[in-house]
Amino acid sequence: MGVLRRVSNLWRRERVDAEIEEELRSHLEMAAEDAERAGMPREQARRKARLRFGNPAAMRERTAWADTAPALDDIWRDLRHTIRQLRRSPAFTATAVITLALGIGATTAIFTLIQQVMLRSLPVVQPDQLWRIGDAASCCFSAGYTQGGNSRNDWSLFSWQAYKFFRAHTAAFEELAAFQIGQGNAELAVRRAGSPAPVKTEIGEYVSGNFFKTFGISAWRGRLLTNPDNREGAAPVAVMSFHTWEAEYGSDPAVIGATYQINGHAFTVIGIAPPGFYGAKLASGGMPDFWLPLTTEPVIAGKTTRLKNPAIAWLDLIGRVRPGTNRKTLQAQLQVELHQWLASHLADMNSQEKAVWQKQTLHLTPGGAGVSLLRQKYQDGLRLLLVAAVCVLLVACANIANLLLARGLKNRHQTALRAALGASRARLVRKALVESLILSVFGAVAGIAVAYAGAGLILHLAFTGPKTWAPVDPAPSTPVLLFALGVAVITGVIFGIAPAWMSSQTKPIEALYGASRAMQRNSHWAQKTLVIVQAAVSVVLLSAAAMLGQSLGNLEHQNFGFDPGGRYLISIDPKISGYQQEQLVPLFRELETRMRAIPGVLSMGAVLEAPPKGWMTHDIRIEGRPEPGPREDLSSGWTRVTPGFFKTLGDRIVMGRPITEADNAATRPVAVINQAFAKRFFGKQNPIGQHFGPAPEKNAGMYEIVGVASNVEFGNGPEEPVYFMSEAQSTHFDQANLEGREIWSHYLYNIVIWAPGNPPDLVAQVKKTLGKAAPNLVVSSVQPYPAVIYAGFAQQSMIASLTWLFGAIGLVLAAVGLYGVTAYGVEQRTSEIGVRMALGADRDSVLLLVLRGAFWQVGIGLALGIPAAIGAGYLIASRLFGVQPWDPLVLSGAALLLALAALIAAIIPARRAASVGPMQALRTE
Amino acid sequence: MAKYDLQGSLDLLVLKTLSQHRELHGYGIVRHVQRASNELLLVEEGSLYPALHRMEQSGWIQSGWALTETGRRAKYYRLKAAGRKRLSQAEEDFAKLVKGVRAVLRYA
Repeated sequence: MGVLRRVSNLWRRERVDAEIEEELRSHLEMAAEDAERAGMPREQARRKARLRFGNPAAMRERTAWADTAPALDDIWRDLRHTIRQLRRSPAFTATAVITLALGIGATTAIFTLIQQVMLRSLPVVQPDQLWRIGDAASCCFSAGYTQGGNSRNDWSLFSWQAYKFFRAHTAAFEELAAFQIGQGNAELAVRRAGSPAPVKTEIGEYVSGNFFKTFGISAWRGRLLTNPDNREGAAPVAVMSFHTWEAEYGSDPAVIGATYQINGHAFTVIGIAPPGFYGAKLASGGMPDFWLPLTTEPVIAGKTTRLKNPAIAWLDLIGRVRPGTNRKTLQAQLQVELHQWLASHLADMNSQEKAVWQKQTLHLTPGGAGVSLLRQKYQDGLRLLLVAAVCVLLVACANIANLLLARGLKNRHQTALRAALGASRARLVRKALVESLILSVFGAVAGIAVAYAGAGLILHLAFTGPKTWAPVDPAPSTPVLLFALGVAVITGVIFGIAPAWMSSQTKPIEALYGASRAMQRNSHWAQKTLVIVQAAVSVVLLSAAAMLGQSLGNLEHQNFGFDPGGRYLISIDPKISGYQQEQLVPLFRELETRMRAIPGVLSMGAVLEAPPKGWMTHDIRIEGRPEPGPREDLSSGWTRVTPGFFKTLGDRIVMGRPITEADNAATRPVAVINQAFAKRFFGKQNPIGQHFGPAPEKNAGMYEIVGVASNVEFGNGPEEPVYFMSEAQSTHFDQANLEGREIWSHYLYNIVIWAPGNPPDLVAQVKKTLGKAAPNLVVSSVQPYPAVIYAGFAQQSMIASLTWLFGAIGLVLAAVGLYGVTAYGVEQRTSEIGVRMALGADRDSVLLLVLRGAFWQVGIGLALGIPAAIGAGYLIASRLFGVQPWDPLVLSGAALLLALAALIAAIIPARRAASVGPMQALRTE
Repeated sequence: MAKYDLQGSLDLLVLKTLSQHRELHGYGIVRHVQRASNELLLVEEGSLYPALHRMEQSGWIQSGWALTETGRRAKYYRLKAAGRKRLSQAEEDFAKLVKGVRAVLRYA
């Protein structure tokens, strides 16, 4: 209570002071009256009373001290004074606040994304108790009994069987949940039972029955999955995500309990997950709309099911450990369990796997943030952007410091007067710091608005296209607000220190000088240093932006092995559309005939997945070769195409022949390989007529090579081997996973159309034709090929554009800073210039004089900035494609740009200087 | 263990004085202490007013303006319930202090 009253006394300080004054006066007078009554002469009585009283001013101060909090009071006074001053110079205040808002806003926007993508925990109960088995985030399933890239011994994904093994044997887990990685088999075609509405394509994720329980999630509506739902033979149920319920089903309560046809099978939607829960996996697209029990996977996937195949790992595992569990002990136990499980599959392993199975290991990692593909994809880019944003902030700080210095010099006389009247040095510094902190706090408030808009814009740039919703929210959260506040305080101190120090150096004697000059050299030097730093940082930003931009251009215009121009890509999903395998060849034949009837279309070809989506790889065996050693790499990509594919994509056949209509069910299975395949596995040998097949050895005679196609960048790298199979041919395998893959791979996801010369309305015509020829076929997009390629570089494009933006802001701020310093210098030197002109200097030499001063600073800035830019180039070298970190063209371009901006910034004050008349100049003295 | 300091003794004197009057101004407090202590104690004005204002902010006493018998405007202070409680605490502490100091002085 006392505190509140004290704070309220701060507001009415004048009244408090007056009251104390009166109270003390009445005391004095009463004392004097008493003394007089005792017989003392009036004057002497007053004197005595006053003597006893001591210094009335000091006492008044101490009494007021009791009524207010003293330090608070002084700061408050500084605060009010500063705000009054700032209000009196709105142009200065606006410039400073906008500059700071840009700097703090840029930094905070990037931090918002970093917080959301990299620092955030899953919105679940006690995320610190969650641990994940495995450390890599994978998009795709893994086949076989080794894992972990080149080292081949680090497990992150598991089969259903392995999951059940871990769950049964690891007591330290209170619950251990499994959920499907990536997408794979879970594209769903969903239609309300009995509804005539078209099917919706949705993403499903198969999860274990205890998935929601493990994360401590309770239903928003209805109920969530439980273990009984995951029993084999249980009635098929599904849980819908809140985002999908809201965005696609209009938050309709009738959804709960309703039956939906999912890929033709009846599922009951039992409930809605709570808002903000997006599963345990964070990716930039394909976030689950539905969660389905693991045991419904065979229902939907049919013959391509992976559930019961122990060799296929397609589940991520996250468990909630019991309190007090030791992580190292648990990890060691899980490693032992992995070996026990692997030992039970020795008979299924190939010779390479047998050689290394005992070296297989796994790592326990914190699971509170889930499995983040998003973090993996964006963390380097975001770090880079944060550094760029901090550079912008630094340039902004330098500008404000410059403004404050100039202002401090203008108010120098006043400051000296304060010093002469007894203001302490600490007080002068405090006042200057209060001013800079107020500015930076205003800047932070505006900056948070900039950050909100900016983060939204970045999300828009990064995640464009259908089904790329990501659970990333640009709205500022508490950590973001704290960050902005922290940045504001730090920047306030950084840009406030120089002006504060300058003002503390003010000597009282300066108050006596008229037009003071004593300290100007000193602070002008500080201003110039700031401009040099700004120039250097701008060069670094600009050259980084140029390198990233050029790298993006190289990526987009690299040699893909085919020309995207004149080509179009259609994405379809015949599997969820309900096609049977024997209907596929007729479907593609029919589509080809219809498409070629469209004016301008030259050909059509279908492919499992077109560039730049990439292909899947597996180990192959070549007929007549010995079994490979454990280190030998026999992996190859594979895909499946219709006969028109090579011609339509423009993939040249360099040897032999392409796949033709004659390669059908009645003829021997053939394959076309690419040049990289030929080079890696056959060297200088002629590959035509050779045989190979997927591992193991017994399949080695399966395909006969009939042709070699030139390398095309599918997305796996241009020099990677791949082979193409015919859509019309099918083989049979003893191995369940190969057989499943064989069936699955006939459902081609992409159609390519070649129609050069921009035929009018082509996309619309293609869509119309598809609708007529195959009304049930789910078509997700029809796009010109170049647009598909550009979309693949969305992240690089976002980073390059933002770095450009930051570079441009930095450049403008540096130019403004240079302008300010040069203009100030000209103003200070008006009389000197006048004297020079009176002594015969002409306008040009005055112009040169000023420009020389400006370019001297820019020159030093460049001398520092260019090596720094080269250093920055090396730091981002891993992100550069076809660009050297010390590209002289880029560096000179950045330097030129800076020089140009500097010229514009310096020429205005220089011209003003040159127009000074000698008389006018002498009069200003 | 009682805690006691010099500021504590000023508080005690002021609170005790106010407890014996309905209300009193600062000068009156000085005079009362002087008289009641047979001129042994002199309250410094320089400490009195900050102390009065502090005690008012702490909610022990309250103040109001009124006229003195000679028709002068003065600020009068009056003890509040919290101040009365504080006073008995201070008296207890002071008694302990005196007892303690005396024991130390007598110890040979």
